[in-house]
Amino acid sequence: MRLSTLVALGLPFLLAGCGQMPGEPHSPPVPPEQVTDFATLYARNCQACHGTGGQNGPAMDLANPEFQALVDDNTLRTIISDGLPGTQMPAWAQSAGGMLTDQQISAIIGGMRRNWAKPDAFGGATPPAFEQPKGGDANHGRQVYQARCAGCHSGPKRQQLTSPVYLSLVSDQALRSIILAGRPDIGQPDWRMQTPQTSGPPLAPQDVTDVVAYLGSLRNPDVVSAAPTPMPSPRR
Amino acid sequence: MSRMKRIYDWFEQRLQIEGPVREAVLHKVPRNTASWWYVFGSAAFTLLILQVVTGILLALVYVPSAAQAWESLNVLNHQIPLGWFLRAVHAWGSNFMVAVVFIHMAQVFLFGAYKFPRELTWTVGVFLLLLTLGMAFSGQVLRFDQDAYWGLGIGVFIMARVPLIGGQLVHLLLGGPIIAGATLSRFFTLHVFIIPGTLLFLAAVHIWMVLKLGVNEWPMPGRVVHRETYIAEYNKLAHDDGIPFVPGAFWKDLVFSGAVLAAVFVCALVLGPSGPGGQPDPSIIQTVPKPDFPFLWIYSVLSFLPPSLETPFILIAPIAMIAGLLAVPFVASEGEKSWHRRPVAVLALTTVAVAWAVFTHLGMYTPWSPHMNAWSGDPIPVRYLREATPLVRQGAVIFESKQCRNCHQIGGHGGERGPALDDIATRMTPDQMRFKVVTGGGNMPAFGKNLSPPEIEALVAFLETLHPANEPPAADAAQRAIETGGGAPPPVGGHSY
Ligand code: HEC
Ligand code: HEC
Repeated sequence: MRLSTLVALGLPFLLAGCGQMPGEPHSPPVPPEQVTDFATLYARNCQACHGTGGQNGPAMDLANPEFQALVDDNTLRTIISDGLPGTQMPAWAQSAGGMLTDQQISAIIGGMRRNWAKPDAFGGATPPAFEQPKGGDANHGRQVYQARCAGCHSGPKRQQLTSPVYLSLVSDQALRSIILAGRPDIGQPDWRMQTPQTSGPPLAPQDVTDVVAYLGSLRNPDVVSAAPTPMPSPRR
Repeated sequence: MSRMKRIYDWFEQRLQIEGPVREAVLHKVPRNTASWWYVFGSAAFTLLILQVVTGILLALVYVPSAAQAWESLNVLNHQIPLGWFLRAVHAWGSNFMVAVVFIHMAQVFLFGAYKFPRELTWTVGVFLLLLTLGMAFSGQVLRFDQDAYWGLGIGVFIMARVPLIGGQLVHLLLGGPIIAGATLSRFFTLHVFIIPGTLLFLAAVHIWMVLKLGVNEWPMPGRVVHRETYIAEYNKLAHDDGIPFVPGAFWKDLVFSGAVLAAVFVCALVLGPSGPGGQPDPSIIQTVPKPDFPFLWIYSVLSFLPPSLETPFILIAPIAMIAGLLAVPFVASEGEKSWHRRPVAVLALTTVAVAWAVFTHLGMYTPWSPHMNAWSGDPIPVRYLREATPLVRQGAVIFESKQCRNCHQIGGHGGERGPALDDIATRMTPDQMRFKVVTGGGNMPAFGKNLSPPEIEALVAFLETLHPANEPPAADAAQRAIETGGGAPPPVGGHSY
């Protein structure tokens, strides 16, 4: 009995000599604002919407090398820091009320480039500019849409692309990014429209701008608020 | 021999301690008290000593200041050789001590050992229990990490609800209106001087009474306690069928205490120290604070109570429980000791034990508050988005950005305040979902003011897709009747909301 106590008392010191015990804590916890590891930052802050590894999420496929090639560092920084007002993309910089420091945002940008960018993502082709210019011909856009998009985007399931409810939730810029870079994770082709189902030349820069203008013109908030209103509450 | 004996005699002549010790060690106890059931009290005392020793060692390094406490624990964990082990032993020692004290109390209650003449032993024991819990709580505060910070914050909110003097109580405990440097000094003083001092003193009184009054005899049905005859009966029993306390009964105490210590060490080695978790910075809200084990049940009880009952419960229940415990030996100081003849006592003990176990279990596995950091990490399972339309995808974005995940699981991740939503579409029609999201109800907040109509539509579109492939979504019976051409409405199934 006394022996067992002795053994129990001596055991830890014996074992301590043989390396790490399962109970020994690893490294001290890092305060959240000092984390600069890309994988951790991305997993904590972005992957809920942009998907594990930057794809298959509900929001834009950030791991698409074409998207990475289209957008420059400054634009990325602005988008991440200030968010995209009017959409669900939040502002992340502390200066804009978010939780991330400027170093952390730089770490995210650097990490995205390191992991997801590829040299010569477009195989020599020159894509239209990333940013949606002002103006744009909605009527011409409708023709482009009918000719180039409707083939895939019709049928009961895909109608919603022209639904005002959907359109009021996405920005013009998001639509443009999707058209330009495509979303390989969900089957949306890039602006060159090269898929087994579709053929034809790449969309011209003006076509892209006009399709976005067309979709934008469908975004009529009156229609949206006339959507079925919920039942009134029976009691307060 | 001669020199040692002379020194011994010199001291003995002055201290005169040999007689009392001999008496305490060799006094006769009834043979049947040498039982494995009678070892918990001594184990509790052994753990108390372990806590004192490890506590003193910890205090050599710990800095009781708000600015440095957290840092000094990290120094112990990572820089001082075996510092982490010391912390782990102290933390596990505390868990074991709380558990052993409770078991000891349950055993004493079940064996009727609190009856005449041991009422005061029980009363002192109740205070020892409270002090032990006080040690566990103040120790958790000294850890001064996020759990400690928020745990204390909640404790203080509870206290602030005491009518009239709530404010002063909080001030007294925290050393100010808020948790700050003075708070830690107060809790250090409590944890290191006031409570342990009292605890050691009362433990001594408790043990003194055990030695003086004798170990409770094994309860036999029909052997009834009467105030007039009990002492004579007990002495006769101890005399006729007695054995000396040491070693007759004591060796089992030693073995059990050794085993408990070994268990503490093994837990410490394998499971490690608790925390410190994140820094106690109130501006860091990415945290899921959880109280330490002995207090879990309180939090789950609170989280299940309707809000209107919270204050009465918080203020009345502890006082009622303590009063109940203190009253036990005075209500039933005579009579049967055997559990065969005390159905009410057995039933009461079982009820309390089961309720406690259930609430602790709930506290361990059900978050009593939303999962505040669930949303940012956990993606929507890819399979739920494979067939998604653009609107559904937007709905999923809103599901994440409005943090529905804080309270609802999807794909096995998220809070458990509300139901998991993986098959919500089989249980609710789109109209019912819309109504629920907008108006809330039944513990769910109303989101009508925080979501625009298109956002609600997108969210409902997403929720509508959440059903197993082989089970159709719920539909409104009337609408289905219209769509299928006015036939008899099919049976309505599962609209349980
Ligand atoms: C709550 C969901 C959510 C989270 C979390 C989120 N985003 Fe976004 N993000 C969106 C949405 C929605 C859009 C598209 C908004 C629009 O309609 O323009 C977007 C757009 C973007 C874009 C521009 C894409 C484009 O279409 O041009 C970038 C870059 C981006 N997010 C990066 C990030 C990074 C980096 C993080 C993590 C720090 C992050 N996002 C976290 C929802 C989110
Ligand atoms: C080869 C078929 C195809 C063509 C052509 C096509 N798309 Fe798509 N698109 C898809 C698929 C597949 C999806 C993903 C499924 C869905 O959302 O319905 C999609 C999704 C989208 C989305 C939603 C992306 C998201 O993140 O939710 C937009 C916006 C979109 N397409 C725009 C267009 C526009 C504009 C055109 C014409 C310039 C176009 N698409 C042409 C196949 C196509």
